[in-house]
Amino acid sequence: MPPYTNYHAQRSYPMPDEPFCAELNAEQRALKEKEKGSWTQLSHAEKVALYRLQFHETFAEMNRRSNEWKTVMGCVFFFFGFTALLIWWQRVYVFPKKPITLTDEWKAQQLQRILDMKGNPVQGLASRWDYEKKEWKK
Amino acid sequence: MFLLTRNALNRFKIRSIQQIRSRQSHENHSQDFHDKYGNTVLASGTAFCVIAWVFIATQIGIEWNLSPVGRVAPKEWNDE
Repeated sequence: MPPYTNYHAQRSYPMPDEPFCAELNAEQRALKEKEKGSWTQLSHAEKVALYRLQFHETFAEMNRRSNEWKTVMGCVFFFFGFTALLIWWQRVYVFPKKPITLTDEWKAQQLQRILDMKGNPVQGLASRWDYEKKEWKK
Repeated sequence: MFLLTRNALNRFKIRSIQQIRSRQSHENHSQDFHDKYGNTVLASGTAFCVIAWVFIATQIGIEWNLSPVGRVAPKEWNDE
């Protein structure tokens, strides 16, 4: 379990006051002492070790992409689908009986009555009906 | 001037592609939850959503009252 520290770095605040590793073992303390001298005598591995003591992640690591959006969108779709189940329950237990005017038979007769009256004959319903062939226009 | 900016932009593009390659090969060492299960969660969530909504739209008797044009055959109404 890492100790609680005051280290918090982000893209907009990349260099906090506290280093990432506050508690150093003997080897790391020796390295910090060596850092006080000339940096030309530090090997590449030592420089990397010093960087890792100071910072948690490099900018490349900090800015990496992730696949979090897949989990997020998957859960979004899941709950949207759950809403469909709620609507199913509503249809079974809440919806009233279908009015007689919405039954198929009534709608067919209503349609015939509108066509007899030639309702909206210019651009509307009756204009889409072929009166000679007695079918819908193609 | 144009050649200068074109070369500068090309250098930027090349470097970022190398960075993408190294990032992809490095970050896969430790996979988080989204790397392991993200595709499954997304696919199953989408499938559940699509199936559920198609089902309630078509199968449970909701009246959408769509246009009769091309759909309903008229029937005699004043035959009494």
